[in-house]
Amino acid sequence: MAEIVERGLVPGSSIAATADEVLARRADSLAHEATGEDVGDSVGILLFRLGDEWYAVYVSDVREIYQEYAITPIPCVPEFILGVVNIRGEIISVMDVAKLMRLGQLTSDIALAPAIVIQNEECTTAIVVDEIGDILDIPREGVEPPLSVMDKVSAEFIAGSVYWESRLIGLVNIDRILEPIVANS
Amino acid sequence: MVEFDRSAFIGKFQEEAQDLLQRLNEGVIQLEMDPGNRELIDQMMRDAHTVKGSSRMVGLIEISDIAHRLEDFMIRVREGEMKYTPDMSDYFFEALDAIVYLAENAGKDIKLEIDLDALQTRLSALAAGGAEAAAGTPETTVATETAVPAPAPPAESDSSEEYDDGDEAVDDLEDVHDDETSGDGVSRQAQREDSLKAKVQPTIRVKTAQIDTLLNLVSEVVIAQIKDEQRTVELRQAANDLTDIWQAWLRLKSLLNSVPVDDDGMMLSIMDEVSTLDGYLVDRRRAQTGFLKGYNDDVSRTSIVVTDLQEQGMRLRMLPVSTVFQAFPRAMRDLARSFKKDVELVLEGGDTELDKKVLEEINDPLVHIMRNAVDHGLEPAADRVELGKPAKGTIRMSARQEGDHIVIEISDDGRGIDPDKVRAAAVRKGYISESEASALTDREATYLIFEKGFSTAAIITEISGRGVGMDVVREFIVEKLKGSLDVQSEMGKGTTFRLTIPLTLAIIRALMLRVGDRMYALPTASVEETLRVDPSEIIKIEGREVIRRQRRTVPLVRLTDILGVPGHGFEGAKIPIATIGFSGHRMGFIVDALVGEQQIVIKTLGSHLHKVVNVAGVTILGAGEVVPILNVPDLMDNARHRSGQRTYGQMTAEKESSGPRRVLICEDSFTTRELERSIFEAAGYEVEVAMDGAQGLQKLREGLEPDAVITDVQMPNMTGFQLTRAIKNDPQLLNIPVIIVTSLERDEEKAEGIEAGAEAYITKSVFNQDTLLDTVERLIR
Repeated sequence: MAEIVERGLVPGSSIAATADEVLARRADSLAHEATGEDVGDSVGILLFRLGDEWYAVYVSDVREIYQEYAITPIPCVPEFILGVVNIRGEIISVMDVAKLMRLGQLTSDIALAPAIVIQNEECTTAIVVDEIGDILDIPREGVEPPLSVMDKVSAEFIAGSVYWESRLIGLVNIDRILEPIVANS
Repeated sequence: MVEFDRSAFIGKFQEEAQDLLQRLNEGVIQLEMDPGNRELIDQMMRDAHTVKGSSRMVGLIEISDIAHRLEDFMIRVREGEMKYTPDMSDYFFEALDAIVYLAENAGKDIKLEIDLDALQTRLSALAAGGAEAAAGTPETTVATETAVPAPAPPAESDSSEEYDDGDEAVDDLEDVHDDETSGDGVSRQAQREDSLKAKVQPTIRVKTAQIDTLLNLVSEVVIAQIKDEQRTVELRQAANDLTDIWQAWLRLKSLLNSVPVDDDGMMLSIMDEVSTLDGYLVDRRRAQTGFLKGYNDDVSRTSIVVTDLQEQGMRLRMLPVSTVFQAFPRAMRDLARSFKKDVELVLEGGDTELDKKVLEEINDPLVHIMRNAVDHGLEPAADRVELGKPAKGTIRMSARQEGDHIVIEISDDGRGIDPDKVRAAAVRKGYISESEASALTDREATYLIFEKGFSTAAIITEISGRGVGMDVVREFIVEKLKGSLDVQSEMGKGTTFRLTIPLTLAIIRALMLRVGDRMYALPTASVEETLRVDPSEIIKIEGREVIRRQRRTVPLVRLTDILGVPGHGFEGAKIPIATIGFSGHRMGFIVDALVGEQQIVIKTLGSHLHKVVNVAGVTILGAGEVVPILNVPDLMDNARHRSGQRTYGQMTAEKESSGPRRVLICEDSFTTRELERSIFEAAGYEVEVAMDGAQGLQKLREGLEPDAVITDVQMPNMTGFQLTRAIKNDPQLLNIPVIIVTSLERDEEKAEGIEAGAEAYITKSVFNQDTLLDTVERLIR
């Protein structure tokens, strides 16, 4: 149960289906509360800024935050792949996630910007962001389905949304971000 | 057939047999309780089969014979011809015990204490007529009963107990020896020691994943060591700078000493400070020199250890090539039968060691080349005799180490590759024009067989899976194994394929290049030469830049253009070029600088970047710098595309623009016909059908021009074989590929299909949509 919630929503599912799922989850989590079991009714998210907007990923999907790295560009990759970095002997790709999500340019110098290393079962990548924000503990039921009106970002990259200090934060769909890159000839 | 050093393999067999026999023993007991357990019966049959096969491989014929009887017996049980009854177990155990005994004493010159003949007779009787029949055969000799070390009464023992009982079993055996070979003390002692030795396994099994983890760590150590070595160079430079400073200081000191001393004491206090500083500097310099020397010594000592560590680590994963070779005699026999050829396979250098990872990958390419040799290389026996060659063809497969590479050669004494035939086929398929074809040397023409999708008169059968061409084999070797594949052929004499692969996949030699601000690594295996040419040597032909090397024209491309990265241009008067040879083509890559050659550790691009064009992976240099490793097949493809040579990709594009492709399906079964029709129509083909061969042939003769014919074999009026022959004998039709889809899968039938001239033979048992479409698409050019 906890695993599913933290994983975020299933990519490609329609809003309606997603909404149903959220409702089902809430029902589930209420059911758990009713039994008095401590399943942890909050979930940690890490905020980060891309351009003017704030986004978030589940803390459970974050492996580390990485600063001061030397990116080696790799030729013949999509534009949003900045290259690779060597993190303690492990090669990890670095993405300009703002470009992938078609949000335009990062405001800071990419060479100096921090990166968040995110991972799912198959893939690991580092996403470059303008600024790392706080880690928030939010109630699980505080995660709403993505709003269709969410500015600029097409729904495929956003798995849900969260209100924080009267701002709407997009929870990034990391499974979509982490789709493996195969040769495009 | 080369004689392997069998003793080395007997150990392997013993190791393997131990597990199998254990399982068989347990199986018998389980079977007694559950005689209908099909899964178990299958398992036991396979185990007996494996024991049979591997014992034969190492020359333990007696074991093989016994295992053979057990297998026969299990087959009968499996087929339901016989029911397993508990009274059969005794015979089964007796046989297993005999195998254990024989296996333990394998390779030793001892007098057998088992009446094998009687055992064989009993087992045959058992297989033929059950336990009662077996009971009717002569009684077991006393020697067998006692001499066989029963691996503990299996009925009440679990595996661990049985293992513990091993030593006792040896003791039992010794007791027998004591009784029977009394008097000869020396040999008895020797036997005792031998028996004990056999029980102490000198090997342990380790999961390969554990070794891989270990080797990853070792490669990190290697990288750290390279860093350290570079640091000593920097330190030496620093020491030299220090010496310069010291010299400057000495000059300053002597100048100060020559200054006349005034009375005001100012100079005196300066000189005081100077001598204090001088003292410090002397101490510092001595300490520095001592430290540097110590550090240097340590680094070079560690370097030796690290090199050893790496080498020994790699050896953990090394296995003799024979582990792959040993399956080939059997595979060759099957191939020879299915192609109706008489072939002798000669294996050489089976003890050459190779990285397990490489070995795992190398089997398929080798089988493919071997198959190719049997199919296309060797002439039919009758033709061979006519040519004055021995009727039996020879295929020789040899492995040897050359430096840090392994060379495997597969040669046949067949007809050789006819460069003219290859030229003609290449022109027919539109790879090259007539004039280009005639401009090719024979050697270059031969290399056309490595062209994408190129395959002369290839019959596609399931032996080769989906009709994999030499191009795929070669690409696999270059891309996955970082090696190279070359071919040499002499008409009438035979063909030799030479595979050169690095000893390990983890570390290769690479040429380091610089383009713009970045370094790139190019696997040395594919690099032909590195040049620095004068700009005047570059000639323009039809707007393309080329250079002449050894009377050949080598097209040039800029690596910046291929990779799409900015460059600075080269420094100095000469242009740095690395030429790559691949698929018989040579290509010169203009770079900004040739940096040098070195060993690199190969790493993948990480879990996220699965496949990137032109980049095979990365390496980490001493300074922690990440450098992309270039992918040679991709580079060559793109470079040839760019320099205007026709490539396969362009060709298919042309083909696609010429309207939908059409196939003719000849099949009398309505269901199959409609199934095939729907498969092809779903893939965008136009489909014509015929109810039998005669109707199909009629449609063809009336001017239906399909891109391929798919035919069944058994049909009324005209069979698929007859149809195929008719097509292949008709000059108008013979270029249409014929794919036989049939349920006939006996070798003879396959051979008939091949003789008829079909391009592919797909049996319905392996038939699926993808196989069919793949095969057709491969053949339509």
